[in-house]
Amino acid sequence: MTTATKERAENALQEKIQEKIRGIAATLLENGTVDAVIGYSRGSLSHMTRAIMAKTREDAQKLVFNSHCRMNLAAYLTPELMEKACAGKDRAGKVAVVAKGCDSRNMVIQIQENRYARDQVHIIGVPCTGMLDKAALARGVEQEQANCATCIRRNPVIHDDLAGDPVPETDPDKDRFADVAKIEAMAPPEKAAFFDDLVSGCTRCYACRNACPLCYCPTCFVDEARPQWVGKTVDPTDVMTYHLVRAFHDAGRCTDCGACEAACPMDIPMRHFTRKTIRDTVTAFGCEAGTDPDKRPALDRFELKDPEGFIR
Amino acid sequence: MNMIRVTKQAVATALAKASKSYAIAGPVKAGAGHEFRCLGQGQVPDLEYTHTRLSPKSLLFPQAEPMFHFKLPETTGEPGDTPPAFLEAESFKEAPLAVVGLRPWDARALDLLKLNFDSPDYTDPFFIKRYNAMVRVGLADIHPDPENFSLAAGSGPFDEASVDILLADAGDAFIGKVITGKGRDFAGAAGFEPGSPDDAKAFAALKAAAEKEADILPACDRINDADTLDLYHADFWEAAAFSCINCGACTFACPTCWCFDIQDEVNQGKGVRLRLWDSCMTDLYSAHASGHNPREKGFQRFRNRFMHKLKYFPDKYGAGIMCVGCGRCITQCPGGIDIREVMAAMNAAAATVQQEVSP
Amino acid sequence: MSEFQPKIVTFLCNWCSYGAADLAGVSRFQYPPNMRIIRIPCSGRVSAKMILHAIRSGADGVWISGCHPGDCHYIEGNYYARRKFYLLRELLAHTGLEPDRLQFSWISSAEGVKFAQVAQEVIQTITALGPAQRLIKQMPDAVAEVA
Repeated sequence: MTTATKERAENALQEKIQEKIRGIAATLLENGTVDAVIGYSRGSLSHMTRAIMAKTREDAQKLVFNSHCRMNLAAYLTPELMEKACAGKDRAGKVAVVAKGCDSRNMVIQIQENRYARDQVHIIGVPCTGMLDKAALARGVEQEQANCATCIRRNPVIHDDLAGDPVPETDPDKDRFADVAKIEAMAPPEKAAFFDDLVSGCTRCYACRNACPLCYCPTCFVDEARPQWVGKTVDPTDVMTYHLVRAFHDAGRCTDCGACEAACPMDIPMRHFTRKTIRDTVTAFGCEAGTDPDKRPALDRFELKDPEGFIR
Repeated sequence: MNMIRVTKQAVATALAKASKSYAIAGPVKAGAGHEFRCLGQGQVPDLEYTHTRLSPKSLLFPQAEPMFHFKLPETTGEPGDTPPAFLEAESFKEAPLAVVGLRPWDARALDLLKLNFDSPDYTDPFFIKRYNAMVRVGLADIHPDPENFSLAAGSGPFDEASVDILLADAGDAFIGKVITGKGRDFAGAAGFEPGSPDDAKAFAALKAAAEKEADILPACDRINDADTLDLYHADFWEAAAFSCINCGACTFACPTCWCFDIQDEVNQGKGVRLRLWDSCMTDLYSAHASGHNPREKGFQRFRNRFMHKLKYFPDKYGAGIMCVGCGRCITQCPGGIDIREVMAAMNAAAATVQQEVSP
Repeated sequence: MSEFQPKIVTFLCNWCSYGAADLAGVSRFQYPPNMRIIRIPCSGRVSAKMILHAIRSGADGVWISGCHPGDCHYIEGNYYARRKFYLLRELLAHTGLEPDRLQFSWISSAEGVKFAQVAQEVIQTITALGPAQRLIKQMPDAVAEVA
């Protein structure tokens, strides 16, 4: 299949999905199964979508699905939203969420971490064929997001409805971690220089943190004042400390959804941090975050035979 | 009119000449885009740039500004030996800074910032010294970005109000106007050649073309007269803010956002007091020491940002909206928020209220 | 490098390694005084932010010591810590920090000898690395050059 034909096929697939999402959303809202549907709507720029909360049949017609649905809607599932959804009702609120494969993995983790209960969300699963890279589009190049190229769950892990036929998963034997291996092959000073350069444009706007469905601490460590763990400047050490701790906090939980990179106004590929923890979690502990609702996240369990060669 | 011209090949030489009496700043390639930087000897700004992701406000108002240093004095440890702690204020380099390639709306934004940093109540020494020492060599935008609505926001691709010199790209040369005395001095130092009447015509034509291309703002004419609380309580805010993730991308990119935080960094007996950019989008910005937060919810912080830019600021200063229409927040927002749509929503809300009131 | 005396921030579990340090002390087992000991309730209590905070504040190394697997006062805290430290050590090494700046050990409260011995090894290893260069916060000492 040529690239152009493949694109047309994907667009047609996405349009069908979009119609299904609208239909499912309208039905769920009309029969009162859910109080609101969280989905994507058209943005003012052609390469952007915007999260909306649809509450009526008319709203449901605004829902879209295309190659610009980069944000992870699981990040919008806050207690505030859940509370709002049930306002004026004598039962717990329930919201429907449009979820790609990666988003559904994040929802698995959120449920495991008791962010909300499984029966509070109605998951409109979307078989996903990947998103277009925003930074590349700005250069006029249409290219798949790097995380989509190594995706292992294009179909939702958990769902209540499926807005389209499942798509084939990517080859599981494919070398998914070539990017990590490439950095590992570097000498330590090279690694340091690579990562220093990587974050040099960071302004600490925290778009990566806020776009992440796993970053929901009531007080983020960067905002803690006593003690203040990390300075608030854009000094290279402060910036690096922020990125390291952020990445580490997502270790064993990160699903590589790519929302952090898509959100970054400076196009910093900060997945290079999380990719390392993902690879190590897979190789050392055999865990793929959020792929199994019955398995706790990697750092929330242990095995007696876990590696300890580094301990004296 | 005082036309000047400099061929593109001659830019580097002209700036080298000027650099004998001015420090030079300008847009250079940084990462995937462009940013304003102070330039080293022989470094030439990339005047073919379209826009910078961050605004040039950092030239006057750096993201992290040390205000003063302090340290604990040496002491013998004997009782009674307690010399006073040592404080040292920051000193400034007074050399004039010429910013070459400044967009007219970004230049206007610097003047809007001044309203905050130089008021009848207080003059900020850090800001104002840099402000006064700056020469603005503007570069008109002959092809404004589609998200740019500067013309409608009170500036424009050829706005002359806030620059000392305004250049425009005329193919093989930059042609332009000297607007102020500061500009004349710089043009002299750089050895820009005088322009011809033909250049003046070409400049006017470029201006007409660019302004024709420029986007028009959704009207915000009604916001001014609307009652503040009516706008504040308008029912569209929650829905409009839904996609907002409350990061600081818009506020940091914005050329007119001026909020800051004060932090002390202390290590082993010495420290520094820093003034750092802050963002009203974050929870911590408005959190009180008591734990109470008047803008606890994300949409309240969203509302505050737009009310400040489009209502509180115009009401307080009478200098129009606190937005120059650069479009940075539109292109950089992860949630796809568009200030033009928020303006339109506010204007529509104002219209509804006014209709209800008028007989 | 013989002149160099590293500063090592040492987190010791209250229920084992801290006792071991005590035992080493009362038993007069010698080890160099390069450590600054912080007592913690469990090795599982130590977060990445604490380790990085020690380094950014000028520590040349960080040593964390807890109970042997199976001996955790809280049954399994050290098992979680083991996974956590494995990933953290890997991540920091991946981004250019010498992995040996981070040291881990299991030492029970009965192992005063082991404590003194591991302390010597840790100090030797970190001394050999020299002063820490990376992830140290430098105090801004002049008006930042604009932009």
